Amino acid sequence: MENNNPLSPHLQIYRWHISSLVSISHRITGIINFVAFVLICLWASMLFLGEANYDSIEFLLNSIIGKFIILGLTWSFSFQILSEIRHLIMDMGYGFELKTTRITGLLVIFGSIFLTIIIFVLGKNFI
Amino acid sequence: MNTSTKKWLFIKISSLILIPLMIWFILNFVSIYDKSFNEIVEFFSNSTSKFLFSLFIVFGFFFSALTISEVFEDYISQKNFKNVANILLYLSAIIIPLITIILLFNLN
Repeated sequence: MENNNPLSPHLQIYRWHISSLVSISHRITGIINFVAFVLICLWASMLFLGEANYDSIEFLLNSIIGKFIILGLTWSFSFQILSEIRHLIMDMGYGFELKTTRITGLLVIFGSIFLTIIIFVLGKNFI
Repeated sequence: MNTSTKKWLFIKISSLILIPLMIWFILNFVSIYDKSFNEIVEFFSNSTSKFLFSLFIVFGFFFSALTISEVFEDYISQKNFKNVANILLYLSAIIIPLITIILLFNLN
């Protein structure tokens, strides 16, 4: 059955802004994070199968591809955390001015890269 | 309160709970992912880690399923296709964390 409700957002029609970039990235990272949750569950479940079966996972996680996946996952989580905080602040009625939305949008984009670095530094050296 | 308001409220509450859990998990994950089998099992043998990880995946799947169903709402026009996608999404969001938690609590 066809639904006549308009679909949104019209990515090919509207001009790109920081807000639209953050919004669509929030959705994309949301989907990536769902896949990440599945992979994390798979990783934790593999422990149940014993050390011999975990060898291949350990090899993958220590490879270049594995490290790239971990880095991407950390960035995706960092982006979601900051973007969700931005959403929560907006839900309280703050930050709707055009200039503020641009600044907070840029903070989410660059802050997610910065947060990824901080997580790696803290995780590798202090935990 | 209508269904959409309830859904919005659930998304907001779960995101508030999920943010600190995400920070806790990703910090620990970065520190242990390349460690040996025994070290990772030791991490999950700790009851605090077990409890926090269980909360993390329950709220993670709950939040993700709700937000992805919003994406389906915005981008899928065919009602039947959207319903099937939502059912598969919600089923996986229940079954995957449930199996993982059961296995984790039986980990020796």
